[in-house]
Amino acid sequence: MKLRLYVFLLLTGGLFPSWHLLAQAPPPATITVRGTVVNKNSNAPLQSVTIANEKTGKGVGMTNADGHFEVRVPAGATLIFSSVGLATKKVKLEPGQTNIKVPMEENNRSMDDAIIVAYQRRTKETTTGAVNVVMGKEVQDVPVSNVEQLLQGKVPGLNIQNNTGAPGFRGSVQMRGLSNLSISGSGSESFLQPTSPLYIIDGVPIDADKASEYGFQTQGPGISPVSLIPPEDIESIQVLKDAQATSMYGSRGAYGVIIISTRRGNSKVPRVRYTANYFVTTPPKLRETLGGNAERRLKIAQIVTNARSYDDIMRINQTTFLADSLNPYWNNSTNWQAVFYRTTYNQTHNLALDGGNAKFNYKTNLGYYTEKGVIKNTGFDRYNLNMNMEFRPSDKFRIFSSLFGSMGIQGKGNGLGILQQGVADNGTASTLLPPPSYYQSSGAVVSALKTKNDNSSRNLRANVDMRYEPFPGVAFASSLSYDNTSDMESTFTPAAANNQFARVYDFTGKNFTLYNRNNFTYYKAITRDHSIFINAFNEIYKQGAQSRITRQERTPNDQMQGPIGFDSYFSRGGGVLANFKNATIASFAGSISYDYQKRFVAEFSYRLDGTSSNGLENLYSKNPSVGLRWNFSKEKWLKDLIWLSYGALRLTWGQNIVPTGNLQSIYGIYDLNGNFNNNPTIGINYDQIPNPFLKPTTTTQYNLGFETGLFNDKFVVNFDTYFKKVDNLLFDRYLASNTGFNKLASNDAGIANYGYELMVTARLIAKRGFTWTVSVNGAINRDVLLRLPAEYNGQYTRIDNSPYNQHTVFRVGRNTLSNYLIRNEGVYSTDDEVPVDPVTGKRYQSNGVPFKAGDPRFKDVNGDYVLDGRDYEVGGNSQPMVTGGISTNVVYKNFGLNVYATFTAKRTILNNALSDRMSITRDPFDLRAVVPLSDLDIWRKPGDHARYPNPYDYGRYNQIQPLRPDQTLWAEDGSYLKINNVILSYMFNKALVRKVGFNSARIYFSTENLITFSGYSGPNPENVTTLGRDVSSGYAVPRKYNIGVNIELNTGN
Amino acid sequence: MERVIKKATIFFLLTGMISGGCKKLYNLPDEKDYLSSNLNFSNKIFEPILGRTTLMGGFNSDRSTEPLKFEIVNARWGDGRPMTDIFTEAETYVWTGTYTGNEKSLEEIEAKRKKEKHPLFEIRRSGEFIMWSASTNALIQPRATDSTNFPQNTRYFDIKVSNSGGEMLIKDFQVRPWRERPYEPSNDMNLYTGGIAPNPKDPTNPADRDYIRPFIYNVLSTPSEKNMVSNDDRKDIVAFIRPFSGGNGHNLRIKVLNKDSLPINPSTFNETSWKTMLHGFNMQMTNEYVQYDVGYPIPLVEIPTPYAPGGTRAHAELKYSRIGFGGTRVMAGFGLDFAIYRPGDWEIVFLFRTENPKFEND
Repeated sequence: MKLRLYVFLLLTGGLFPSWHLLAQAPPPATITVRGTVVNKNSNAPLQSVTIANEKTGKGVGMTNADGHFEVRVPAGATLIFSSVGLATKKVKLEPGQTNIKVPMEENNRSMDDAIIVAYQRRTKETTTGAVNVVMGKEVQDVPVSNVEQLLQGKVPGLNIQNNTGAPGFRGSVQMRGLSNLSISGSGSESFLQPTSPLYIIDGVPIDADKASEYGFQTQGPGISPVSLIPPEDIESIQVLKDAQATSMYGSRGAYGVIIISTRRGNSKVPRVRYTANYFVTTPPKLRETLGGNAERRLKIAQIVTNARSYDDIMRINQTTFLADSLNPYWNNSTNWQAVFYRTTYNQTHNLALDGGNAKFNYKTNLGYYTEKGVIKNTGFDRYNLNMNMEFRPSDKFRIFSSLFGSMGIQGKGNGLGILQQGVADNGTASTLLPPPSYYQSSGAVVSALKTKNDNSSRNLRANVDMRYEPFPGVAFASSLSYDNTSDMESTFTPAAANNQFARVYDFTGKNFTLYNRNNFTYYKAITRDHSIFINAFNEIYKQGAQSRITRQERTPNDQMQGPIGFDSYFSRGGGVLANFKNATIASFAGSISYDYQKRFVAEFSYRLDGTSSNGLENLYSKNPSVGLRWNFSKEKWLKDLIWLSYGALRLTWGQNIVPTGNLQSIYGIYDLNGNFNNNPTIGINYDQIPNPFLKPTTTTQYNLGFETGLFNDKFVVNFDTYFKKVDNLLFDRYLASNTGFNKLASNDAGIANYGYELMVTARLIAKRGFTWTVSVNGAINRDVLLRLPAEYNGQYTRIDNSPYNQHTVFRVGRNTLSNYLIRNEGVYSTDDEVPVDPVTGKRYQSNGVPFKAGDPRFKDVNGDYVLDGRDYEVGGNSQPMVTGGISTNVVYKNFGLNVYATFTAKRTILNNALSDRMSITRDPFDLRAVVPLSDLDIWRKPGDHARYPNPYDYGRYNQIQPLRPDQTLWAEDGSYLKINNVILSYMFNKALVRKVGFNSARIYFSTENLITFSGYSGPNPENVTTLGRDVSSGYAVPRKYNIGVNIELNTGN
Repeated sequence: MERVIKKATIFFLLTGMISGGCKKLYNLPDEKDYLSSNLNFSNKIFEPILGRTTLMGGFNSDRSTEPLKFEIVNARWGDGRPMTDIFTEAETYVWTGTYTGNEKSLEEIEAKRKKEKHPLFEIRRSGEFIMWSASTNALIQPRATDSTNFPQNTRYFDIKVSNSGGEMLIKDFQVRPWRERPYEPSNDMNLYTGGIAPNPKDPTNPADRDYIRPFIYNVLSTPSEKNMVSNDDRKDIVAFIRPFSGGNGHNLRIKVLNKDSLPINPSTFNETSWKTMLHGFNMQMTNEYVQYDVGYPIPLVEIPTPYAPGGTRAHAELKYSRIGFGGTRVMAGFGLDFAIYRPGDWEIVFLFRTENPKFEND
């Protein structure tokens, strides 16, 4: 018995068993009690607050719209006031007391939080899905161009990598691991098709991937709709993770759902709140470069010590930048990186006006954000005007409308925004070259700095939401929204940057979504114990998009930027781009939720999605789900544990089905094939055979969750484990030539993700004036490739045809995206270490040249003593396995200190930046800067045991390729711990600020990307592509320092 | 109370168990080695020359996971009889160290290789076939001397390739060995019979034969004072690579004979760099020949060295100079790029067939 007790205590984490039975009270007389329930902070009356008698547990009444109530209870009884979103309050009636005023506080008990599931507000207690909530204030003290950046590390299982510093661009967002196999591009620009969660802003779904679905090749401004949300306007962000929570959102919810609720008006007197941030962004430490004479000397020394012939040494004299050191053109020490990088000073302003009460409230938010990029000629500006209004003339009717207008303006320089290849190339130019000046400048510099790039994305979204409740429990609602975005990009490249002819490029795009949802809900408490909730709705999307470009390769001069005529040769590119869209989605969804004493909850839901992009044979995709919840803390045998605030187990299953093909894969492509009998003929394109049986991608997810609050919610634990199977992924099958077709778009690939998510929040100290909260969350996700088309026999190698040769392997049973590289096992210390073929007596060789001391020890995988394409091995995992975050929050009197850190572990990064940087030594006669390698462990003389091979032997470089990018030397562990945000705030004394006419004033100092701890040898293990490649042309992630103020004006009394 | 705790314990234990690591529960496929269905050999007929170590490739793994296991199975003659002779085990040299060409003694060379027992024909883990140099005409019956290729005289076998991902049988490889050619160039030898090759210009004449032709330059004949040549039509000089008796088993001699088959004193070839010409040791120069102690095969390893600039043939060049017509010094010479595979005492004999070379100054 004792042993069992200990086991129990150990398992529950309970430290002291202090449950006991409550004492019984004597029977008293019945009295009538009247009163008002108000919000403790705003003093506003609260309606629909349930009043129960604690002793009997029975409900005795409810407050009306003015917050009044009248109940009949025994004298001296204890009344329990409870409502969604409010902390339950117990009031013990004093003898003779018949009129009471009950102030209620907004609660911080996570179990009572209201969450939104399938467009309905519900208490967390009665929902079965895995949901995390991030409050708006957690993302508001650091100015960012995209609010996702600050969600990083706050939700377990939501893997956000802020892998670009380009303002206005998004990093990568993945919910519960990998959902896709589709890689496009090659080399460093290999790009994993994004699978971002569906965003729903105030009930309106938006597509976050809209601007980036074509990866690095995306045309147009590339401003994500998420970048257009002002963080100051966010009330809360809710992340739905499992299939039960997301299946009601249909196919678009397969990658998770993020629900953003903006602020509502809620103040009797109009409130004016102003937030301003002034921030500095600084580029990270840039590449060290040898300047001027040091560069020349190193190159000459390299040539002299490694020359293969007398001619090589003579070539020094013929190479003017090496020999002619007194020539002013070659006698420089230019810091090229400083030409492109800068420290910037930026600001944001946000003005929010709100007011109203439960009957009528309104809000207006006006925002401005500007950030100049750390690379010159790049930046992002955002302008917002958001308004909403809610009118509730009676308990039965409610109308809510909102208007969201925003404009994002982005400068991409001459690059693609995320990648700045031009800057990367120029940053490695020889320091001996003269810097750009008034009289001369290289074309590349002009291109990077003087290209006029004007991008803007204008978004207007209007939404009307009505709800009518004819009888208690029965409600009809309808929501209508129209979302319209127009994108523009115009780029003017001056003549000096484009072979003496100016170039003009113009892009215009427009897309819209018309969305309607009609909703019916029914709630019925059958008896006190049983209640059901029915939610049924239909949704219709009408989506359209069209974009066009024009490009004039040569224009008369720099002064003439338009209008541009037509030239049959130089007017290139144009017409409608392939992202034309005209789609309709119709969906029907319904769910039934049943609960027994709020103890057992069961939910069933079903959704049908019909879209034009499904195969004819699979027109509707079906999304069923089941969820069960057991609030075990409500069990009688646990009810007495007063340290157990709440506890629940959740088990869900659900499917999300995403149409995977496009019209071409279902119906084929038909081309004009020339003329026959003077009539144009149309024939099928033989590259791909149509597949009308194309199945949609099916995501099946199981989730088991456990949540508990201990010691009055001092400790809150949330644990989820899941198994997510993504099946019927699109995968090409190559056909036998006798079919006449090249390939078939098939559905024969599948991935599984399984993992664990844990979030622990501890309110360690909560004394008067001093609170300290620590929250730790982490997720482990493993992905496994389940199947491939049969003829692949369990492995498919995606050959990278770029010079990087960094192939990717999909192998069944293994983590999905593995690298396929040559294994580097060190460096040959001496010549004798090079293995000899016992048969031929020849040394291990590469391209006919035997290895020797100082060369890398590449593993001879197939044992033929020749290094070639057959010596690649599968290894590594480009996707992180562990992600998470840590936060601590200290409030002491008026001071606040919040620290947010994030971590990522177990991930392979290919350090292409280092390989690029070291391999500049391949040709000392090239006009490239050299970087000091003295900090690296390189082989210098026989007997050295080094990590990096001898980079200076340029004569054999092309045969041996000691620094080839496709080797595991560059595969490093990309684990890191990043202290992202440190926010120090001070709230001014209320009495003091009132004298100057403010209601409240707060000043804060915050940082972003403050410091990263990592064993990675590159600059930043986070600043890598989704496939884990540290690209030298990547946009460096800057560090941000900010000073901000929040001021609330005193408008009333 | 006890019941409560019991229930709770079971409940929490169950929770822990379900949520704990359960790869098995998910029924995930195990990772297997990849064995491509497209793996193949580009060449299935091997025609090695016996007596030499020959490495024969052509395997394409199509990115199958290494290490692969190769097994020769179902070795047979074309008529179904089992075939075993090429798998006879014999001692053969394998290299253990790097031959560089800078070795200073025979012992130093021998320290870099050792004798090991191997089947005469085998496949190694790279999928390459090896015919070891220990294979002789006696151990392995070479192809028919009448140049026929009947299936019953052809050796067949299959290859089983396997790794943990499965196995594959690739069928019907053939081995058709050529009889030994102990030296190269071997154009003076009939490839089928090992006898003397006929003159390619007159193949039906049994009285005529083919010779190894050295290179020759600037050598004037005496007395006719013509430039001596060695080509298909005229063979002023020919060479023989032949064994001699009386050596220590690893000797190599170079001998030059005049038109009367009498030896010419090697010191006559006054510009010859005898010491660095071949990778041999203990050079002895007599009036008749120059002799070295050498390691066989020659060249030892087919890599470029000063002795074998192209890697595959050792370079022997005998040179002399004389004052030519008009008083200019003429550098004249002849020699042979050769290889010898069978260990033993070998001599390279240059024979001036028609006239003798002119050594006197003009």
